[in-house]
Amino acid sequence: MRILVAMSGGVDSSVVAAILKEEGHEVIGVTMKLWEGPDGEMPETGCCTASDSEDARKVASKLDIPYYVLDYTESFSKNVVDNFTEMYAQGLTPNPCVECNRSVKFDHFIEQAKKLNCEKVATGHYAKIIKKNNEYELHKADYLDKDQSYVLHMLKSSDLAHISFPLGEISKPDVRQIAARIGLKTAFKKDSQDICFVGKKNYRSFVEKRIDLTSSGEIFDISGKKVGDHNGIHEFTVGQRKGLPGGYETPRYVTKIDVQNKNVTIGEKNDLLVSSFVVEELSCVNNLEYENLTIQTRYNSEDLACDIKKLSDTKILVQLKEPAFGVAPGQFGVIYKGTKVVCGGRISSKVLENVG
Amino acid sequence: MKNQDYLYLDHAASTPMRKSALDKYIEAESYGFANSSGGHKLSRDSKNLLEDSREKISELFNAAPGEIVFTSGGTEADNWTIKSLFDSKRPNENLVTSNIEHEAVLASADWVSSNGHQTKFAKSDKNGLVNKNEFLKQIDENTKVASLMWGNNETGVVQPVKEVSKEIKSINSSTLFHSDVVQGIISDNIDFHSSGIESGALSAHKIGGPKGVGAMFINSKYKLPSFLHGGKQELERRAGTVDVPGIAAFAAALEEQQSKFDEEVGLMKDERSIFEEKIKNSLDIKIVGESMNRLPHISNIQFKDINSEVLLIQLDLNGLGVSRGSACASGAQKPSHVLEAMNINPKFINNHLRFSFGWTTQIGDGSKAADIVIKAAEEMI
Repeated sequence: MRILVAMSGGVDSSVVAAILKEEGHEVIGVTMKLWEGPDGEMPETGCCTASDSEDARKVASKLDIPYYVLDYTESFSKNVVDNFTEMYAQGLTPNPCVECNRSVKFDHFIEQAKKLNCEKVATGHYAKIIKKNNEYELHKADYLDKDQSYVLHMLKSSDLAHISFPLGEISKPDVRQIAARIGLKTAFKKDSQDICFVGKKNYRSFVEKRIDLTSSGEIFDISGKKVGDHNGIHEFTVGQRKGLPGGYETPRYVTKIDVQNKNVTIGEKNDLLVSSFVVEELSCVNNLEYENLTIQTRYNSEDLACDIKKLSDTKILVQLKEPAFGVAPGQFGVIYKGTKVVCGGRISSKVLENVG
Repeated sequence: MKNQDYLYLDHAASTPMRKSALDKYIEAESYGFANSSGGHKLSRDSKNLLEDSREKISELFNAAPGEIVFTSGGTEADNWTIKSLFDSKRPNENLVTSNIEHEAVLASADWVSSNGHQTKFAKSDKNGLVNKNEFLKQIDENTKVASLMWGNNETGVVQPVKEVSKEIKSINSSTLFHSDVVQGIISDNIDFHSSGIESGALSAHKIGGPKGVGAMFINSKYKLPSFLHGGKQELERRAGTVDVPGIAAFAAALEEQQSKFDEEVGLMKDERSIFEEKIKNSLDIKIVGESMNRLPHISNIQFKDINSEVLLIQLDLNGLGVSRGSACASGAQKPSHVLEAMNINPKFINNHLRFSFGWTTQIGDGSKAADIVIKAAEEMI
């Protein structure tokens, strides 16, 4: 089978290319160039850097497979970077990796693969695709420490039919061992943690450079009493503890950001407990299901038992069985049934009921 | 796929070395390896070889030997002429060039303007031609250097170099007229003096010579300031040990090219027209500058509904090597500044490929290439 492999230059996607080649497939390697500086150079830190694409090229050469760099910068800049800055400006907590997967990477990549007569695309994500009857299901990876099904929740059965995640049943240490066995230089390369286009820099200074955020507002406590002023709501996210007015016996947290009036509300930790909220821009892998569900409200966070109620084709109400901390508007909520991804979408800022 | 089965249509980017050049390189490296600036017999052998090569090359272009200065390639020659004549003590002096020049010229122009000098650009029309009068209109009494390429490296469209040179001196007699002839020498006969070119950039590897070797033609009435500082090599203008074997190979490649010129260029022309006719009959395409006087080795094709980023890969996988715009360091391919300058509809600007024939082109290549392109394109629509 001819397979197009997305190679970031990291160990995971390198091993994917190697495994598929060993299995006898015709493998074509591609690095997606997502981001570049003002002079067209790649970023120096984080993933997708010039040295990463250089690593990918070396691996492809070692595996003796064709290798190309495809330009995704325009779409990435529009769909991910602009969205990232706009969301911060609105006091929301963006997740650029999810945004990238759902708006930039997969659709375009699958389309390009089809044009190149490739039957499938493969990536180094840790997740599993299981075919049942005529449907494809998305599941958590066997190696839960690295499970990335959360950031892939937007893939539909019809997409999954064209995708392969060869690392779904392999552990990270095993991946490194395979890389070492076949002599890949990337075997012991560190995992990238940074946001690829921000790198090691502070994301706030990145945002501030791109849009004017100087719009001051007021800070209130939970009872509605004004307790201070601020220079812009982008400096706050729900759950934040640093940089708030002091003088309280117990720590204070941002509990609410009112984008329209530019007001920030602070309260105690318990004020952050949430029991129900709306998830919008919903995407379902297959049909929506309603029983024995859990939700992750951040990448690799705890699975919280929940019920859901359908509000429209793209909107559900999530009711947690136990109130929980850390539900941030802007992040994605991904609903699971056991290891299976049912659906996911963005946690709405409009309907968020605090209890506590 | 073995390389000999691979059809190479990217001669505008580079060409393999001719056997005569490679043989000369090996021979020269064995007896002319010594530093050509030394005082012993082996240095003299090397120096003799260097000067013989200079003479041969200068004869082929109807120039005097002292008018040929060896460089690392066309880019260096462009940089040298354009940058070295500007002086911060004379900030009102300006540079005139066109907006479809090679990056070596455009980036040098940026450098000139970043040093406070005015840089003026004559614009290309929609056919990829810089109008003679448009260019001359930019020249004034403060124009120090004017630069117009012989033939464009992406479209092949031949620029009005001779027409400009005829009139430029009547506007400003002290303006140095430079021309990048890197693509021009692949498929056109160039005589610097009779064309009115006072400085020219040449590259060896486009005509079957080695990479990393080139030359600047510079009219004997000019003496450019040194570009690389150090020893007194290359007529005291360019420091650094001279690559004599590379230069000898350049001369050998040029000699062979000139002796087979009509035959080789005739073949490029024939194969290109077979190629263009064939794909025109099968696909919805447009040939850039089709009605213009084009260098016979270049064919720039706009595909109506096909993004050429993926088409390029499809062709590569099917054994045909061509190119898109200019390649950046990572290998990602960007739309070209030349097509942008021609005001190509943004809807189609990512749908172009450049096919370039050259000295290795054989009978049948045009037809074979067209078959590969048609098959790949039809699969992608």
